[in-house]
Amino acid sequence: MKWVPDTSAYDETFDRAAGPRPHYRALVTTLESFTQTEIDRRERLQKISLVDQGITFTVYGEKEGLERIFPFDFVPRIIPAREWERIEAGLIQRVTALNLFINDVYQEQKCLRDKVVPPELVLSRREYKRALLRLTPPRQIYTHVVGTDIIRNDRGDYLILEDNCRCPSGVSYVLENRNLLHRVFPEFFTRYPVRPVREYPRLLLDTLLWSAPRASENPVAVVLTPGIHNSAYFEHSFLAREMGAFLVQGRDLVVEDSAVYMRTTAGRQRVDVIYRRVDEDFLDPLAFRRDSLLGVPGLVNVYREGNVAIANAPGAGVADDKAVYAYMPALIKYYLGQEPLLGQVPTYVGLRRDDFAYMREHMAELVVKTTGDSGGYNMLMGPFAARREVDAYLAQMKKAPGNYIAQPLIELSSHPTYVDGRFEPRRIDLRPFILYGETIRVLPGGLTRVALRPGSYVVNSSQGGGSKDTWVLAARNT
Amino acid sequence: MLSRVADALYWMGRYLERSENITRLLLVTEDFSTETQGLAEQVAQAAWKDLLAIFPAAQVGAPASAFAPLSQAYLVGFFLDPANPYSVHYSLRKARENARSVREALTVEVFLAINETFRALDADARRGLVDPPALRDALSAAHKGLFSTIGAIEHTFTRDDSWLFLKLGESLERVYRTALILRTKLPALGASEPRADVALYYTQWRTLLRALGSLENYRRAYGARLEPQLVVPFLLFDPHSPRSLRFGAEAVKQCLERISGEPGPASRIIGRLHAGLCYHDERAAPGGDYAPLLDGVVDASGQAHDALAGQYFAT
Repeated sequence: MKWVPDTSAYDETFDRAAGPRPHYRALVTTLESFTQTEIDRRERLQKISLVDQGITFTVYGEKEGLERIFPFDFVPRIIPAREWERIEAGLIQRVTALNLFINDVYQEQKCLRDKVVPPELVLSRREYKRALLRLTPPRQIYTHVVGTDIIRNDRGDYLILEDNCRCPSGVSYVLENRNLLHRVFPEFFTRYPVRPVREYPRLLLDTLLWSAPRASENPVAVVLTPGIHNSAYFEHSFLAREMGAFLVQGRDLVVEDSAVYMRTTAGRQRVDVIYRRVDEDFLDPLAFRRDSLLGVPGLVNVYREGNVAIANAPGAGVADDKAVYAYMPALIKYYLGQEPLLGQVPTYVGLRRDDFAYMREHMAELVVKTTGDSGGYNMLMGPFAARREVDAYLAQMKKAPGNYIAQPLIELSSHPTYVDGRFEPRRIDLRPFILYGETIRVLPGGLTRVALRPGSYVVNSSQGGGSKDTWVLAARNT
Repeated sequence: MLSRVADALYWMGRYLERSENITRLLLVTEDFSTETQGLAEQVAQAAWKDLLAIFPAAQVGAPASAFAPLSQAYLVGFFLDPANPYSVHYSLRKARENARSVREALTVEVFLAINETFRALDADARRGLVDPPALRDALSAAHKGLFSTIGAIEHTFTRDDSWLFLKLGESLERVYRTALILRTKLPALGASEPRADVALYYTQWRTLLRALGSLENYRRAYGARLEPQLVVPFLLFDPHSPRSLRFGAEAVKQCLERISGEPGPASRIIGRLHAGLCYHDERAAPGGDYAPLLDGVVDASGQAHDALAGQYFAT
């Protein structure tokens, strides 16, 4: 069995001097007990299983409706109990602050008056919905489901890279990856106390129903999807099935007498909570984008009158802004009076004159991103970009400096990944999922995405990434 | 349940049933054609041409070579051609698309079965199979896959409205297609005489029963005696054989009654059709002419479909 340790980044599995780290020793031993032939046989089994089950996503820009499998690497990523405790506490703190921030932005705007965040940074953004000002969502919760991206630097510190407060996706793969690994390598699990992730759909349903505005014995929650051609359609349908909730499209819903109803074969049925997996700009053509065919005309009005809950609440996108990210440590201190428990990546904000000057001078060292995009679209990897690309990108930046931020390139940690018969290091990140209901809960696990191209830093599924099962270990009573 | 989901399940049921019908017709016709091509090429030709009447919008390309058996072009066209709206490939793809669009309303087993069956078929289509024995193998495999899917539905589905709409699509498609097959095949069969070629004559009747998945059911009722005056009423009026028109109409009627307690427009149409098949008077078809009755079944199926769409699927 060939292992190729990483020499340029933090290797999750191997300590440069001492061999496998303690929590990986049993896994490495188990893997080494397999012959190459056996491993290849199991890997084939796993691939067939993915295709047969139709666990797929859709890639935009290619032929419409093209389904691809999300490549799965069977070497699990292991997070020891003590490391997880810190991540969990840091995430709960962060999501608490994010939710307070969004409430503040749509209510009193204290943080803007106190200049904790520059007002223009929030008020000029597309994600800031003026129409929702002074509106309080049920239970004052905006961020029912958050997927936060975490990376590890070359010292192994966990750093927050990005908050996703709108429609974070990927949780279905967390559950399916675990199922898959159970089936393909049951041997791995014999020596590890791996915390289960199976409970997620139940927790999600609890979270959604906690926000139901109507005192009803049987509140109805639905999952709102853009439809079969959306890249995350598999997940929408998976979650609806696992929760026993209706999966609806915009055209299935209708607004009447200040309430939302589904069109059913037995007439109209009232809806209490909408878990929307539709971009908020498309939710309601009367309130946001008029050309939206995916939305429900009048939905936002019903929401305004408090007759339906929407998760995540419209307007939550202000917290996703990559420039707001730069102010998160300050916001945590401002709202909670605490130091952030998890670090984050130093960020230059184009809106600040000095920062922009620095960005211009150091393009070749920086990763530059637009504030409103996600999924790895419209970013520039300075260190790997050709001169011409940098110049073209800079020309765009000069037109609207406020729309850009920059960060130093972080050497993402790497993890052994099975490629062509060898275990090679590939860079990874981590997306845990946080649910904000009666309490804030973090699913013990997460989506570990892996950049499958050697040396690549881009882990997004839309850009050729894969994923791994992510194990959070239970604390042993010893 | 959601109107959109009911609509998708109804079509999934129709397309699954259609896939199975086409598959069976191809297997049976291929047997018949191989058996008779050398003896009576006209008859073999006609058996294939009937498919174009049963599936009106279908088209078939030219045979691969001068030596290719008759069946070859039809097998390719009706089995694997993705562009033929009545190929197994097309129908099963539609069934899967409908299944995929309401995956949350299905059990995992059902989706797995339909997905695997379609993927195997699609792989055959991509390989461009033209060799008749290979096509036959692939057809048999598809037939098994379809039965796994139907079995998964039978074993895992909750018997709620989802089930009823799926079964409604299946039963209505079956009644409609059975009536079309009989309407296409009976005139020529009724006109032929046993005196000309006894073996061929009985082969044709046996093939009709097989084409409608009813040969063994018929034997249970009447043994090996193959009499046209028994076969036709059996296919039309038998209360127990799952592919008789009466049985199909009853299945449609029961689904409609369970979906809605009160009779709607669709249940009125189907109720009258069912009553007509239950209380059929032989004197109403003098000389065994069932053409008016079959026309009535085809029309009623179409009207019932429109009524259903208006009542349940309209958004």
